[in-house]
Amino acid sequence: MIFNSIAFLVFIGIFLPIYFNLKERGQIWLCLVGSYFFYGWWDWRFLSLIMFSTCIDYFVGLKMENENEQASRKRLLIISMVVNLGFLAFFKYFNFFIGSFDAAMKSVGVDVGYNTLNIVLPVGISFYTFQSMSYTIDVYFKKIKVEKDFVKFATFISFFPQLVAGPIVRAIDFLPQFSAGARKFNWDRITSGLGQMLWGFFKKVAVADSLAPFVDQCFAAPDGFSSLHLIIGIVFYSFQIYCDFSGYSDIAIGLARILGFDFPDNFKTPYFSRNFSEFWTRWHISLSSWLRDYLYIPLGGNRGGGFGSYFFTAIALIIPVFLSGWYWLILVYGVVFFFIFRFAKKDIRNKVEVFTYMNLVITMFLGGLWHGASWAFAVWGYLHGTYLIVQRLIGPYYKKLVQTLRIPRPIVVAGDIAMVYFFTCLAWVYFRAPDFDIANQFIMGIASFEGMSFGSIINKFMVAKGVILIATLLFVEIADFKFDFSSLIKTNPVFRVISFAAILWVIAFFGSFGANSFIYFQF
Amino acid sequence: MKKAIWIFALIALFFLGDRVGGFILKSLTEKSQFRYSRLYEQQIDADILLVGNSRGLMFFQPHIEEKTSRSTFNLSYNGMPIDLAEALVGDYLEKNKAPELMLLDVTMCDRINNQLTTEFNTYTPYSSRLRNLIRDTSITISNATILSHLYRYNSEVFQRSLTYLNKSDEDWLLDRRILQNIADDAVNYPEYNIDIPDMAMPALNRIIQTAKSKGVKVKLVINPYFPDFADRIMNLEAFKSTVEKATGEQVHNYAKSVTDIDGFGDYQHLNKSGARLYIDELIKDGIFGSLEAQETMHLK
Repeated sequence: MIFNSIAFLVFIGIFLPIYFNLKERGQIWLCLVGSYFFYGWWDWRFLSLIMFSTCIDYFVGLKMENENEQASRKRLLIISMVVNLGFLAFFKYFNFFIGSFDAAMKSVGVDVGYNTLNIVLPVGISFYTFQSMSYTIDVYFKKIKVEKDFVKFATFISFFPQLVAGPIVRAIDFLPQFSAGARKFNWDRITSGLGQMLWGFFKKVAVADSLAPFVDQCFAAPDGFSSLHLIIGIVFYSFQIYCDFSGYSDIAIGLARILGFDFPDNFKTPYFSRNFSEFWTRWHISLSSWLRDYLYIPLGGNRGGGFGSYFFTAIALIIPVFLSGWYWLILVYGVVFFFIFRFAKKDIRNKVEVFTYMNLVITMFLGGLWHGASWAFAVWGYLHGTYLIVQRLIGPYYKKLVQTLRIPRPIVVAGDIAMVYFFTCLAWVYFRAPDFDIANQFIMGIASFEGMSFGSIINKFMVAKGVILIATLLFVEIADFKFDFSSLIKTNPVFRVISFAAILWVIAFFGSFGANSFIYFQF
Repeated sequence: MKKAIWIFALIALFFLGDRVGGFILKSLTEKSQFRYSRLYEQQIDADILLVGNSRGLMFFQPHIEEKTSRSTFNLSYNGMPIDLAEALVGDYLEKNKAPELMLLDVTMCDRINNQLTTEFNTYTPYSSRLRNLIRDTSITISNATILSHLYRYNSEVFQRSLTYLNKSDEDWLLDRRILQNIADDAVNYPEYNIDIPDMAMPALNRIIQTAKSKGVKVKLVINPYFPDFADRIMNLEAFKSTVEKATGEQVHNYAKSVTDIDGFGDYQHLNKSGARLYIDELIKDGIFGSLEAQETMHLK
């Protein structure tokens, strides 16, 4: 079931009146049953997966609490990791691993002849697996108390507003909210939640789905379009994916608020970031903070590293060599690492810096693969890892240069934002393209600068509509930053009525009502 | 009580804005010079009615009018399916003086295009045929149009009507040349067949019968394709025979009639210079009837 469908309207229309007439326990039960119904609507067979993960992590948590011995606690954590990551590996990455291994072997002349399987990817598995893992890891590190109430725990894992596409809400933020008593019909929460949902629907139905056909056309056969057409295509994609995903998050957060739960923001106007570190504190915040806390920092973060850093860096760098058949890369790696190790040996600070780079690449590489079982996602991750490293390397010199040249601040800010946006778009090409050939064609098509006139654009109406919608989105986001619309909606009923009606008008006039699925469902 | 007022105010404001907005957009549509606005708002007295999908735009009106001295009206639209064309031709013949000739590109019989059909929502206030067709295509969209008048104008068709608010749409045709790499790659285009949906031949037949009943001559053609691309259509001859058998009318095949690469915008569409070459070919073959008299008139 997706939010932008009639089925969901009916579902929520029945759910809410019952919900607000139940006591606390009944509300949690209803959330659980409703969540399983919501998920089962898509494919009931995969409910057993969620239930199994839930049971494993629930019992691992309970057992961990009773274990004082560190080794036993570690064993339990490993069981949880193996089960959760095992499901993820099988359903999401099995064919990818087999295919990649097969290709790697073939590249050295060995035909292992493994066959891939026809596996259906359970929707939302990456989200609820990470949510569930965060619980066991936090229990292991004694950051949170064990949840003894199975119904609350199962609802935490499967809570329908954010089950299939996040945000990934940590146990420490979510579980305590179940003990806050029965949720009453709260007018302020409902209006503010409804406002956020409407804004999410605007982003999804009006912006993302209106941009989608133009983007699909560009990425289907980029060699058939002019440079300007492709530039518009990638700009549109950057807003399509932003509005699709942040729109879902807004709907999820707004719906949760109506139900009486507070979730943290998942997006904060990411395309206004002035550097890539900032970008990752504004884009898919729940995933980037998860990766930071459960991967980057355990690897050593910016304070050093160890075996894990070496191991994952080796994997991240060597596998693509075999897959691409570019064996000369090994020589390049050899030369680069020779100098890196010499640099690292000179000073302990240098060594720490090198480990930081490794940890950044690993985190972004695995973050890329989290999105999908394809090397294109890995390349997207590599690119962002590289951006972060280059930023660390040249950042201080850049600041000095700006100070020396006394460039006015507005120009510096605009330049920074434009630079980050440009490189983000470059990475989006690999994220969106169905394969490397298409991605490279796309970039070469832009770089050729062949056909930069407006006349070379094939569907000008889609472009005009897209530009109007993106301008509206940016205008509202900037105005919200200046005037804090969320507070105005709460405090000013006239503003609330007008803004809600205005969003509905815009959706009616610009919306695309084909019940298009959300992009992040595939992850 | 306050909450009830709030909800009532929101609903009232939504519908008020929706109706006012809908009224303004309706007025703009009616003032437009776009072909369908003219179809429903003006009396048209055209000698030749042209029908097709985006390939029907190759019936480049300024050149036809210049060369034949006959007035034209083009009902073609990008991706138009034959059932939608049936409704529009029906409305045209009902509201206006019957033309002498209807020229129809039969390659428009290759698709069902429910999405485009529903985009013609913009013109449902003026046509029961369109209303019925859209209701049959999607009852949800039909109902949504009743609920929101703004939604009626949520389409590319409406955007085009705005574009042609103060100018004629008669020279609506590609003006670019096909990219050289695309032209060179046509020989590698995967072979494909033109599909004919079940509804297509009966709908085409009804169009022809309706036109004939009003005394309109009907000529069916296959408009030009990029030559190497035309070779990739494996069933073009079979498609032509199917149409001829179903309608009892001759189909004039011009699929490979234009060979100048500079005359194409892409594989399936001529640009303006190509369209001129094609129309000259049609005139030479007497598709528009005997032109001697008209040419003399034109020279005068």
